[in-house]
Amino acid sequence: MREAIPTGVPYFGASLKEWIFTTDHKKIGILYLVTSILYFVVGGLFALVMRLELTNPGLQLLSPDFYNYLLTGHGAVMLLWWAIGAPTGGFGNFLLPLMIGARDVAFPRLNALSWWAYFGASVLVLITLIPGNHIKMMWTGYPPYALNNDAGNLALYVFIIHLLGVSSIAGAVNFLTTVIRMRAKGQSYWKLPIFVHSIITANVIQILGVPSLAGAVTMDLFDKYLGTAFFDPARGGDPLLYQHVFWFYSHPAVYVMLLPPVAMAGEVISAMAKNRFFGYKAYVIAQWGVVVLGFIVWTHHMFVTAAADWIKIIQSITTMMITVPVGVIVLASTLTLFKGALRFNTATWFALGTIFMILPGGLTGIPNGMLGIDYGLSDSYWIAGHFHFVLAMIITFGIFAGLYYWFPKFTGRFAYSEGLGNAGFFIMFVGAMLIFGMQLIAGLHGMPRRYVDYPPIPELVSAHNWMTVGAFVFALGVLISFLNLILGMTKGEKADANPWGSPSLEWWTGSPPPPHNFDKLPEVDEDWHPYNYKKA
Amino acid sequence: MAHEEVHHGHHEVSVWPVGVGLGALFAVLAFTAFFQWQMPFLAVIFAGLTVVTLLGGLAGWANEFFTTGHDEKHGRIAIVFFVGSEIIIFGTMFAAFWRAWVFNAHEWANWVPHEMNLIMPVILTLILWASSGAIVLAEKAIEHGNVGAYNKWLLITIVLGALFVVLHVMEWFHLWESGFTLSSNMYGTAFYMLTGFHTSHVLVGLIAMLYLLWIGLSGKIDETKTTAVVATGFYWHFVDVVWMFVATNAYFVGSIPALTGGH
Repeated sequence: MREAIPTGVPYFGASLKEWIFTTDHKKIGILYLVTSILYFVVGGLFALVMRLELTNPGLQLLSPDFYNYLLTGHGAVMLLWWAIGAPTGGFGNFLLPLMIGARDVAFPRLNALSWWAYFGASVLVLITLIPGNHIKMMWTGYPPYALNNDAGNLALYVFIIHLLGVSSIAGAVNFLTTVIRMRAKGQSYWKLPIFVHSIITANVIQILGVPSLAGAVTMDLFDKYLGTAFFDPARGGDPLLYQHVFWFYSHPAVYVMLLPPVAMAGEVISAMAKNRFFGYKAYVIAQWGVVVLGFIVWTHHMFVTAAADWIKIIQSITTMMITVPVGVIVLASTLTLFKGALRFNTATWFALGTIFMILPGGLTGIPNGMLGIDYGLSDSYWIAGHFHFVLAMIITFGIFAGLYYWFPKFTGRFAYSEGLGNAGFFIMFVGAMLIFGMQLIAGLHGMPRRYVDYPPIPELVSAHNWMTVGAFVFALGVLISFLNLILGMTKGEKADANPWGSPSLEWWTGSPPPPHNFDKLPEVDEDWHPYNYKKA
Repeated sequence: MAHEEVHHGHHEVSVWPVGVGLGALFAVLAFTAFFQWQMPFLAVIFAGLTVVTLLGGLAGWANEFFTTGHDEKHGRIAIVFFVGSEIIIFGTMFAAFWRAWVFNAHEWANWVPHEMNLIMPVILTLILWASSGAIVLAEKAIEHGNVGAYNKWLLITIVLGALFVVLHVMEWFHLWESGFTLSSNMYGTAFYMLTGFHTSHVLVGLIAMLYLLWIGLSGKIDETKTTAVVATGFYWHFVDVVWMFVATNAYFVGSIPALTGGH
C-alpha cells in the first residue's frame, strides 16, 4: 500500500483552548460546519413558523412585521450560512488541503481570521433576534425600502454582509493561493478532484463578486446614516443602481453555492460506482463556463424593473446559454454511473438526489429566463419554487451526500444506521417535492411571493395546506438524518482509513487524519488520477 | 517517518486572529451603537475595545510572523488576488459615479463648485508617483540585504504618502466649507466616496509601511523575509494606479461641464 496510516491522536483530540485558538484547517472546517448546521436549523425553524402562518388565509400567529423578519432571516441565514458556509467554509476547509496532499492552507492564521469574521457575523444575526433590532428589508436589502426605519436595523444587515465578505475574501485568497502553491508533487491541474475545481471556481467568483455586494450595501449604509445621495433621485441618485451592483455578485453567488455541492455529489457517484469520472475535463471547463456566463446574466433578476431593454435582451440570451455548461455537468455526473458497479448506500441516494434536483430546478428556470414569460412569473411563488429546487434542494442534498461520504474522514466512524439514513433521504425527498412542487403550482395560480396573507381562493388554500404538510415531512427527514449522524459519532461502526476504496489523496492518510495530515507528504506518479479506479 | 517533514507546534494555534476578528466585530458594533441605537457612550466603549483588540491582534500577528514564521513567498500571489477584489469594490463606486454623470447630464454643470481646483490632483499625482518610485528602491535595497537604504527609502515613501493625505484632507475641508459636501448631490457623493475610499487605502498602506519600517529599524528583516515588503509594494502601486482613475474621474470628468453637455 502507498498510504502510511499514522498512529497516535486524531486531529480532534485537542484541548478546548486548542480548538478556540486553532489555525488547523480541519478544526476550522469543523467549526464552520457545526455553525452552518446550527444556523440551518434556525433558518428551518423560521420557515416552519412561516408555514404555520400561511397554511390558511387570514392572520393566525404572526404580525406582518414579524413575518417580514422571519422571511428576511430565513433567506439570509439559509443562503449565507448554509449554502455558502457549509460547502465552502466547512467541506472546503477540511478537504482541500487533504485532497492536494498539503499539511494546511497557505495562510493558517488568515484562515482562523476568516472563521472569526464569520463568527462575528453570526453574533450580529443573534443580535437581530432582540426586539427592535429585527431586520426586515429582505435578504436583498433593496433601497429605498431598506433605508426606511420600518425596514429595521439596516446597520446590522450591512455589517453581517461586510463581515461575511471579509471572511469570504480572506478564505478565497487563501484557498486559491493554496491550490496554486501547495499541490502534491506530480499533481497537475488536471489531476485535481472536481471538488477542488469547484472550490477554485467558487472562490474566483467570491474574489470578483463579494466586493460588489459589499459596495452595494455600503451605499445603503451611507445613504441612511451619512446622508449620501446614491439612491435619492432628487439629488441625482438612482435606486436601480443598487440592484445592478447587488445582482452583479448575487447572481454569480448562486454558483458559489451550487458548484461545490454538485461536485461533492459527483465525487460520491464516482467513488460509489468505482468508476472513472465521465468527461472530467469537460466538467471542469463547464465549471469555468458557469463562472464566465454567471457574471453576465444578473439583469434577469431585474426583468420587471426599468432597466434598459437592450441589457435585458442580451442577458435573457446569456441566461439561456447557462443551460449548456450546466447540462454538461449533469450529463458528466450521470454518465459516471455508466458501466459502474454502484453501491446503493445513503451517500449514493443523496448524491443521485442532488443531480436529480437539477432537473426541476433547472427546467423551471428556463421560462423565467425568457423576458416575455418572466413578466408574468416574476415575484410569484413560481419563482420561489424554482429557486428552492435549485438552492435549497441541490445544496442540501449535496451537503448531506458529502456528510455521509466523508463522515468516516471527519470522525473515523460510519453514520449510525443505513436504514435511518435511507429513511431520512426518502422522507426529505417526498417533503421537498411537496413543498416546492406546490409552490410552483401556487405561483401559476397567481400567488405572489413574500406576502403574509392571501385571499381564500380554493386552489391557493389547498396548495398552501400541502406546502405546510411537506415542510413538516421535510423537517422530519432532516431530524432523522442529523440524529443518524450524531449517533454515528459515538456509536457508528469504525471505519478503515479508506472505506470507499478511492484513489483520491484525502484517503492517503488516517481517517480521522492526524493533526499534521500526512506523516509523509504524498507524491503521485503519471498514472495516478483521483478517479483512476483500475489502478487502485 | 520522516520527522523533519512534520512541524507542529506554533503553527497550529494562534491567539492573534481572534483579536483581529473580534476587533472587526467591535468596530461594526461601535457604528451600530452610535448611528442606529444612538447610544454614544456604548459606541465609545466599543470603539475602545476595537482599538485594543484590532491593534493588539495585528501587532501580535505580525510579530509572530516575523519571529517564528517561515517566509514561504505565498504572499506574492495572495496580494494579486486581494487587489483583484479591491478593483471590483472601487468599480462599484465608479459605476455609481458614471451612472449619475450620464443620467444627470443636463444639470451636472450646476453641481460643480467654483472652488474645484484642478491643479491639486496634478500635485497629488506627482507625490504618489514619487512615493511609488521610492518604495521600488526600498524593495530593491532589501533584496540586496541593504537594510540602511531600505529604511531610508521606506521613510521617504511614508513621508510622501503622509503628505498626500494631509494635502488631500486640507482640500476636502476647503471644498466642504464652500458648501460642496457628501450629501449635496451625486457629484458630491461620488467625489467624496471615490477620493475618500482611495485615501482610506493610502492610510492602510501607510500603516503597513510604518510597521515594515519598525521591522527594518529593529533589525528583524533580512533578504530572506521580503514577501511582506514586495506585497506592500504591489499594493502601493495599486493605490497609485487607482488614484489616476479616481483623479481623472472625480476631478476632471466630473468638473468639465463641456463633457457633460453644459446647461
